[in-house]
Amino acid sequence: MDLPGIVQLIHDSALSEWLRSSLKAMPIVEAIHVMTAATVFGTILVVDLRLLGWPGTKRSFSRLHGELVRWTWGAFVISVITGVLLFVVNSVTYYGNTAFRLKMLALIFAGVNMFVFERVTGRDVAAWDTGPTPSSARIAGALSLTIWVSVLFIARWIGFTKGYDFSIPDNVNLDLNFGQ
Amino acid sequence: MFLDFARALGGSSLSIWVQSHLWVTPLLQSIHIVMIGVVFVAILMITLRVLGRVGTDETFAAVWNRFSPWMWGGIGVMALTGLVLGIGEPVREASAMSFWLKMSLIVIGILSALAFGRSMRPLAYVGDTQQFSGGAKAVAAGTVVLWLFIIFLGRAIAYDVEVWGSLHLG
Repeated sequence: MDLPGIVQLIHDSALSEWLRSSLKAMPIVEAIHVMTAATVFGTILVVDLRLLGWPGTKRSFSRLHGELVRWTWGAFVISVITGVLLFVVNSVTYYGNTAFRLKMLALIFAGVNMFVFERVTGRDVAAWDTGPTPSSARIAGALSLTIWVSVLFIARWIGFTKGYDFSIPDNVNLDLNFGQ
Repeated sequence: MFLDFARALGGSSLSIWVQSHLWVTPLLQSIHIVMIGVVFVAILMITLRVLGRVGTDETFAAVWNRFSPWMWGGIGVMALTGLVLGIGEPVREASAMSFWLKMSLIVIGILSALAFGRSMRPLAYVGDTQQFSGGAKAVAAGTVVLWLFIIFLGRAIAYDVEVWGSLHLG
């Protein structure tokens, strides 16, 4: 089966039907997605700024990274689960939405940047753990910061460009209703 | 009274400008969400230091001095972006129970952060989590829960009738 077929299958699933008919579940899922996305971004921001030498480089990078990485990954996993649920609700329109595709692309870039940092730049971390970061680590931090800010901006744009493939009750005022 | 004011505000030139430039709301909401990440994680880091989960090689004062400017700066930017967003959709905000609860909890959150910072800032013992009483740890953990609830209420404004039913003010 091709990808559009799978997306249609997701749209027609019982879970998708239930989420669409249960609008009480949606604010909870959306809010958890925002909470966990904020935690992912915020914890990565702390690490990226340390790579960029802000507020300084005296504190051990390994220690800072070790303290925060479990929060980043924990929040990321919950963010992915809630994100999948949001996709399931409105899968056909998300699939065709340019902002959604750009967000997925940005997430892949973020993953590649992190992988390269862990496997290449971060391998000699002992040499700069409590001293000035090498330019390759600073570049990784700057790239990560740029990509994650982009992810949040693009994610918000999805809400204003996607539309819905189901009818919204009159008493629910979602983003797309704005200005209409 | 607030709804009357909101209706009047909705007809103001600034509100109409926000409403008629459709890029303004998504842009401000994006900045607002970036700031949620900054503020929430700044509060989380301070709380985790109180609980002895991060930064125990540093004094509490050092952790507070690093993260509190981000917290206050982020709150300032969120207040500005939130204000313009509210001016753009005043009736939607004023008629939402979630909006008023959110504003009330933000006031409590800011006052508690001010009081907490003032009372805890002098503490400077490296690594010693015993310096914080059980009460201080509970207040710090409660602050994180409070801000999580504020984030929930921000998202719930769009679903006010679904969430609050007859308590919706519109």
